[in-house]
Amino acid sequence: MIVAQQKPLEEIRRLIAPYEKILILGCGTCMTVCGAGGEREVSFLHGALRVAQVKGGDGVHAFLEYTVKRQCDREFLDPLGDRVSEVDAILSLGCGVGVQVVAERFPDVPALPGVNTSFMGATEQGGVWDERCAACGDCRLAETAGICPITRCTKGILNGPCAGTKNGKCEANKDIDCAWVLIYKRLESLGQLDKIRRYYPPRNFRTIPRPRRLAGITSIDLGGSNG
Amino acid sequence: MYSVSMYETKDYPTDRGEKISFDRSLIPPCQAACPLHMEIREYVDLIAQGKVMEALRVIRNDNPFPSICAHVCTHPCENACRRSQVDKPIAIRALKRFAVEFGGDRMVQGEAETMRSERVAIVGSGPAGLACAYYLRKLGYPVTIFEAHSELGGMLRVGIPQYRLPREVLDTEVQRLIQMGVEIRRNTRVVSLDLLFGMGYKVIFLTLGAHQGLRMGVEGEESPGVVDGATFLREVNLGLKPSLGEKAAVVGGGNVAIDAARTALRLGTKRVVILYRRSRAEMPADPTEVEQALEEGVEVQFLVTPTKIKRANGHLSVTCMRMELGDPDAGGRRRPVPIKDSEFDEEFDTLVTAIGQAPQIPEDFHLRMGRGSTVQVDPATLTTNRAGVFAGGDAVTGPATVVEALAAGRQAALRIDDYLQHRYPLANKEVREGLAGDLLPKTLDMVKKTSRLEPQVLPPEARGKNFEPVELVYNWEAAINEARRCLRCGVGAEILFQDKCATCLTCLRVCPYNVPYLDEGGVIQIPADQCQACGICVTQCPAGAIVLRKPYDRRHVASELDHALRSAAESKFKPFIIGFCCQYGLFGTGALASLWRRAKAGIWIVPVLCVAKVEAEHILRAFEMGAEGVFIAGCGEQCAREKTAFWVSQQVEKVRKVLVQLGLASERVQMFNLYAGDEDPAHALDEFTEKIGGLYLASVIKQEVKS
Repeated sequence: MIVAQQKPLEEIRRLIAPYEKILILGCGTCMTVCGAGGEREVSFLHGALRVAQVKGGDGVHAFLEYTVKRQCDREFLDPLGDRVSEVDAILSLGCGVGVQVVAERFPDVPALPGVNTSFMGATEQGGVWDERCAACGDCRLAETAGICPITRCTKGILNGPCAGTKNGKCEANKDIDCAWVLIYKRLESLGQLDKIRRYYPPRNFRTIPRPRRLAGITSIDLGGSNG
Repeated sequence: MYSVSMYETKDYPTDRGEKISFDRSLIPPCQAACPLHMEIREYVDLIAQGKVMEALRVIRNDNPFPSICAHVCTHPCENACRRSQVDKPIAIRALKRFAVEFGGDRMVQGEAETMRSERVAIVGSGPAGLACAYYLRKLGYPVTIFEAHSELGGMLRVGIPQYRLPREVLDTEVQRLIQMGVEIRRNTRVVSLDLLFGMGYKVIFLTLGAHQGLRMGVEGEESPGVVDGATFLREVNLGLKPSLGEKAAVVGGGNVAIDAARTALRLGTKRVVILYRRSRAEMPADPTEVEQALEEGVEVQFLVTPTKIKRANGHLSVTCMRMELGDPDAGGRRRPVPIKDSEFDEEFDTLVTAIGQAPQIPEDFHLRMGRGSTVQVDPATLTTNRAGVFAGGDAVTGPATVVEALAAGRQAALRIDDYLQHRYPLANKEVREGLAGDLLPKTLDMVKKTSRLEPQVLPPEARGKNFEPVELVYNWEAAINEARRCLRCGVGAEILFQDKCATCLTCLRVCPYNVPYLDEGGVIQIPADQCQACGICVTQCPAGAIVLRKPYDRRHVASELDHALRSAAESKFKPFIIGFCCQYGLFGTGALASLWRRAKAGIWIVPVLCVAKVEAEHILRAFEMGAEGVFIAGCGEQCAREKTAFWVSQQVEKVRKVLVQLGLASERVQMFNLYAGDEDPAHALDEFTEKIGGLYLASVIKQEVKS
C-alpha cells in the first residue's frame, strides 16, 4: 500500500491562498488506510482550515469536500464533473498518482497536493507504517528469504552484511535491524544458507527509464476481435 | 454559504447519492421477552442519564399501568437479559419502579375523547380488563367495566397481598381510568351475555380471571379448617380478617402459596409451614419472594405432600408422605415419586391449599371451553365462538402473570377496534430484527464487571406484623448506577457503507472488546450481537463507513453542539468555552448540574453520551464558531466502557497539533475527569477558565498592537 503523510497545515494554507473556492478531494483507498486523506481526514482538514480562517483572519475561502473511491482511475472522478466546474482549485489528498490523474482529468482546474507521498509500506501496528518495497522492478526476494535488502538495508547492498553491522543493528541507525542479519537468520531457519554464500553481481544502476508503463494482455486491443 | 460543512454532509449520502437515515437498531432480548414489548433499553438508558421523566414517558408508551408492573411484574425481561452472561441481569423492574416514583407517574392525567359510538362491555376488572378499557378509551370507544366484587382490580386486588402491591397504586390507576371516562359497575355479576348485548353493547370482552382453587383430591379436604389459597387471599384483601389459628400449613410451591404463607404470618399466625412436594429448585414461585418468606420466618418442608386430613378436637391431623424426585416430566421439572411407608402425621390448626387455580365460566355464556376449563379463543384475534365476544387474561390462559394479562388486554382492544371498524385484523408487524445469542468469550472477558444493585427491602423484623410494602425504591445514585450496567444490545456500530470501507482494519485494532473481525472473504464484519456500542470505531474509522445503529445516536453530539454554539452566539458573554461532558452517571443530575451552576458565565456544556463519541471535528467546529477553549469531561473510573479516555486523548492531541500550527496555545483543549475521586472537577474547571480568559486577553492585546 502507498503510504503518505498530510502536509503541514501552514503549507496547505500557502498552497490554497490564491484560490477562493476549493474542493478538498479525498481518496478512499490507500490514503484512507494510511490515515492521510480518507473521508475523515478530508473532514478534519476542512475543519482545521475553517478554524485557521477564523483565527488567522487571512483570506476567505469556501470549501467543498468529497471523497472518491480511488483517484488513480479516471472513472471514479467522473461524478465530480459539476462540482469541479464550480471551484477554483482542487486540493487532492490522494497520493502523487492521484493528484496527477486529477490534474489530467480536469485540465482547467489547478490540482494541489495535500499530502506528501512517502513510500510503499506495511502496517507495523495501528498508525505506524514501515517501508517495504522500492519498486526497483527487479525483485530478488526469493534469494533473500523474503526480506528486501534494497529497502531495508540502509545501503541497499546485495551482498551483505557490510562491516557496519553490530549486534544485529545497522551502523547508520541503532534502532534499525540490519537487514542482512535478518536475511541470514531467516535463511538459516529455512535451511537455505547456501543462498547467502552466492555472489550477486552488482545491480544494474542504470537509471530506470521513466516513466515506466506496464501493459497487461487485456488492455491490448488488436482490433478485429469480433469472433 | 457556498461551502458544505460536515454538519450538512453528514446525513450519510453514499457514493450513489442515496440517503440512508432510518433506524437500524435491533430489538434487544429484554424487549423481545416482554409480553408488552416495552422499549426497555431506551428507558434504562434514559435513567442512566438521569432523565427520569423522559424514561417514564417511554414506559407509558407501551404500558398502561407502569406503576403496577413496577411492583409486581415477574420481569421476563430480566431472565432474558444478556448481562447475566457477564455477571447478573439488570434490575429492570426496580428501575421501572424508580422511574415511576421519581418521574411523577401519579401526576399523569388520564385523558381520552369519545369519538366512536359503539359501546364495549368489559366483564371483569383484572389487569386484562383494565388494560383493554384503557386502550379502548384511547381509541375513543365508550367502555363499561362490570366487576362482581366491591373493588376493582381483579387478582391485583384480591390475589396480590398489599405488601407487594400497595392499594394506593391500584386506586390511582382506577381513578385515572374513571378520569378517562370509563364507566364502572361494581358489585355487578354478569349472568348473561345476551342481556349485555340487549343493553346495547356491541362487543363484550371477558376477563373473568382464574379464581377457583384446584382441589388436591385427598380424603378430608372438605373438613372445616381447610381453605383454598385464592379464597383466603380474597377474604384478607377484601378486608376480612380470617383467623388461621396458631399453626397453619400451606400446600403448594407457587406464588400464591408464598403469598398465603406470608399473609398468614402478618395476620398473627405463629407458625406457618409450607408443604411442597418437590425441592426448592423446582419451586415455580419467584426466588426473591421465597427468600423474603424464609427471612420472615416461614418454614418450608420440601418433598412432602399431604395424603389425608382428619379433623379432631378443633385441630387438623394431616398425614403427609415423603417424596423423592424421579424423571423429568413434559415441563422439564423432575416428577415427585412417593417413598413407600414414609407417612407421618402432623398437627395444624388450619390448612391452606394453593396448588393451582382455574377459571370459572358460567355455562350460560355458551362459550366453547378448552383445557382446564379455560375459554377457547383464536390466539391472534382473541375471538370466541360467539360473535362479538372476546376473551383474554387468566380466563383464557389459566393462571398467568400480570404483564401477560396487560398484553392480552391491549391485544383485545386493538382487535376489538379492528372488529368494530370492519377491518381485517392487522398483525403487529415488527420491521426491526431481533438480536439474540451469547457474547463470545473474547468479548465477555473485556466487559467490565459491576455487581447488580438490588433495591433495599424492609428488614424482616419490620415486616412481621403489617402490610407495608417490603421492597423500597432506589435512590438516585443506586438507580443510575444500576441503569448504567445495561449493555445496550442492538444499538452498536455497523458498517453501513461497505462500498466505502477500505478494509483498513482500524476498527479491528481499536475495538476494546475484540468485536470486529475479518471474514473469509476479506470483508470486515461487526457482529451486532457482540458490539458493546462504545462508539470508538465510529470516531476512528478513516473512511466514515461505520455508524451507530440509531439515528439519534449518530446525530447526538453534532446537534447538541450546534445548540450550545447557537446559545453561545446569542449570549453577550465573550469569551466562551465549550465543554463536552459525559451525560451518563450522576452527571446528568449531580456533577454536571453543579458545573452548570458554578460555571462562570460563558461556559456552555454539550452533554454527550460518552465522551468517546466526540470527534476531533466537533472540537474544531467549536473553535471555528468562536470558542476560546474546549474541554472534555469524562466520567473517569465510573465509565462503564473500556478505553474511552485513551481515545479521547487521541482526539485531543490531534486537535492540539492543529492549534499549535495556527499559533494558538495547545492548552486551549483540555480533558478532565468528572469523577476522579480526590480531584475536584469544578476546581480544575476554574483554573481552565482563568487560563483561557488570560489567553483571550493576550490575543486581544496582540490584535490591538497589530492594528
